[in-house]
Amino acid sequence: MKEVVTPRLGNALLAAVAALLFCAALSHAQSTSPISSASPAYREVTDETGRTVRVPQPVNRIVSLAPSLTEIVYALGLQDHLVGDTEFCDYPADAQKKTKVGGGINPSLELIANLHPDIVLVTKAFNRLETVQSLENLGISSYATDPHTVEEIISSSKQLSDVLGAPEAGATVAGEMERRLASLQQRIGALPPKRVLFVVWTQPLISVGKHTFIADALRLAGATSIVDSGQDWPQVSLEEVARLQPDLLVFAESHSASASPTVEVLATLPGWNIVEAVKKRRVAVISDAVNRPAPRIVSAIEDLAKQLHPDAFTEKPESNKEKIERDNPRQNDRPTAHSSFSPGNLQARIAISGGCACAR
Amino acid sequence: MRPLTLRRLLFQCLVLTAVLFVVVVVALKFGAVPVSLYALGRDLLRFLLGQTSQISTDYGLIIWNIRGPRILLGILVGASLSVAGTSFQALLRNPLADPYVLGVSSGASVGAVLALIATPFLSLSPSLSALLTPLGAFLGAAATIAAVYFLGRRDGQIDSTTLLLGGVITGSFLSAIITFLMGTVTTGNTRGMVFWLMGNLSTSFQKSVYWFLGIGFLAAAGAIYTTASDLNLLLAGEKEAMHLGVDVPRVRLVVYIAASFLTGLAVSVSGSIGYVGLIVPHLMRLIFGSDHRTLLPTAAIGGAIAVVFADTLARTVVAPSELAVGAVTAVVGAPLFIYLLRRRLA
Repeated sequence: MKEVVTPRLGNALLAAVAALLFCAALSHAQSTSPISSASPAYREVTDETGRTVRVPQPVNRIVSLAPSLTEIVYALGLQDHLVGDTEFCDYPADAQKKTKVGGGINPSLELIANLHPDIVLVTKAFNRLETVQSLENLGISSYATDPHTVEEIISSSKQLSDVLGAPEAGATVAGEMERRLASLQQRIGALPPKRVLFVVWTQPLISVGKHTFIADALRLAGATSIVDSGQDWPQVSLEEVARLQPDLLVFAESHSASASPTVEVLATLPGWNIVEAVKKRRVAVISDAVNRPAPRIVSAIEDLAKQLHPDAFTEKPESNKEKIERDNPRQNDRPTAHSSFSPGNLQARIAISGGCACAR
Repeated sequence: MRPLTLRRLLFQCLVLTAVLFVVVVVALKFGAVPVSLYALGRDLLRFLLGQTSQISTDYGLIIWNIRGPRILLGILVGASLSVAGTSFQALLRNPLADPYVLGVSSGASVGAVLALIATPFLSLSPSLSALLTPLGAFLGAAATIAAVYFLGRRDGQIDSTTLLLGGVITGSFLSAIITFLMGTVTTGNTRGMVFWLMGNLSTSFQKSVYWFLGIGFLAAAGAIYTTASDLNLLLAGEKEAMHLGVDVPRVRLVVYIAASFLTGLAVSVSGSIGYVGLIVPHLMRLIFGSDHRTLLPTAAIGGAIAVVFADTLARTVVAPSELAVGAVTAVVGAPLFIYLLRRRLA
């Protein structure tokens, strides 16, 4: 076998040449290929993760990679500039008609590139850093938000409106959110908060940690979460819940078509009857807007406040109730608007992200 | 074993390279954004003629900057895993050895994750930090294969069943460690847990990473190739090879280090992609025979073909979303593994 020695060298050389050629070809292509738009005007901004982002001016083409960001774009009246969003962007209904670039965790880079966006909007909680880095390698700017409180949702929306070139609309949206929250605090601010368990997922039981905007939303609605965890999406043991005995369980609609089956299911599970709130079926169900760091979360907060503190809303029934209904006209069609988001989907995404991907 | 001629080896490699070229063209054409074969051909031609300025920018960005790098990554990862698998099979004298089955990929993942966690605390220069991940993956892979090797030894002999069982258990133990690390550590850029448990090629890297992978692959695969004839003799048994003049400890060390390095390289950029290192060498043995001087290069090209093809499926089956390529290779590879295992035990 030793008589033919040349193939080793010949073959190694062949492989080397082939691989180097491909590498060279690629680096050449990468260095020469022009990058999307030829617009010369840029503005440098710092996003909420501290990255410096070059934003083309004016911003004409936006891709949103999170349902909450899609909602903010619509709230700012910039929907005509939104050229693409994710499969989970279902609100408002018109957002479903936009070009879909995949999910928030695994979007198709080539679909995004093909839309030639001026900017891609991402959130730290819903999207992956790899997506941002890959976009950066392609020369596509991305702006990340990372709100952890309702206050930050407001300031974040305001800042985003400025980046997107619609600061007036941002001021209006932020002002409206602040006004409604302030009037809510006047009603329920003095009342003792209800102790609740916010149920993100039932099997296993997952709730929210104290540093999430959902926990903050609960506080603003006159509730306090019994779960005092530093993790964002802690798995909570039934024993702990039984020990802490929440006054109520709070569900968001997206987790089930209606909450009563969920609480009925819980009641049939062994052990759950030792939780008084389950035994007595004391639950509050709010829109899944509470899961999204977008302006609509205020409606969910008001809704929850009404369910938790009904007395505070019956004193002066006329003026205030009307006002809330007027401010919140879409409340009635919410269940249908969100029924497309199946629990199976959520379960899959919890499994995929290795945490909970609910902070959309 | 038929005597090897340069002509036959070149012919085999050429045929496989032609198949790889076809698969690459298919991979360039198909994806979430439709690209016509005409536009692709026109741009490819212009590229080959050096008229890069005339390449249509619309497809240019997608073909050259998204699909191209991803295909290159697939080629390098597939070739690395396949050569690593072939090497482990020769080293352990077990045709069912594979970086994924033996838990070596999981070990590399743990090493890479630990390196990523440690990086922010070490205050190294960015280029050194970038090397830390593949280094961690290499050390993880090397430690795991050593552990599995000792687990698999019984009375001085490698026992096939014990080896595989030891590898599977080690892999599941290390996967649990990854899950634990991901659940507890929140600092640094550790990527998603699923990335490390089930590999994918969706991340795009700096240009230097592709160079590093290419050169690293050539160096390690070249080192293994210098031992190809010795590996043939090793098939007869370690004692027999030693009697025939093979420096067995040296060959074992070279192949062990180089194959661990290849696994580490692949895992640090793509996570754990399973079964490529198992199925591809098997197929190549069936087609071209088990002479390592032809098996190693054909397995390298075959691995590239397999991963690029599997990734094309992963990108297109549920478009616009994407599957992990590891899921595709596992769906094909796991049943084949069972089949080979049963045939071997029968």
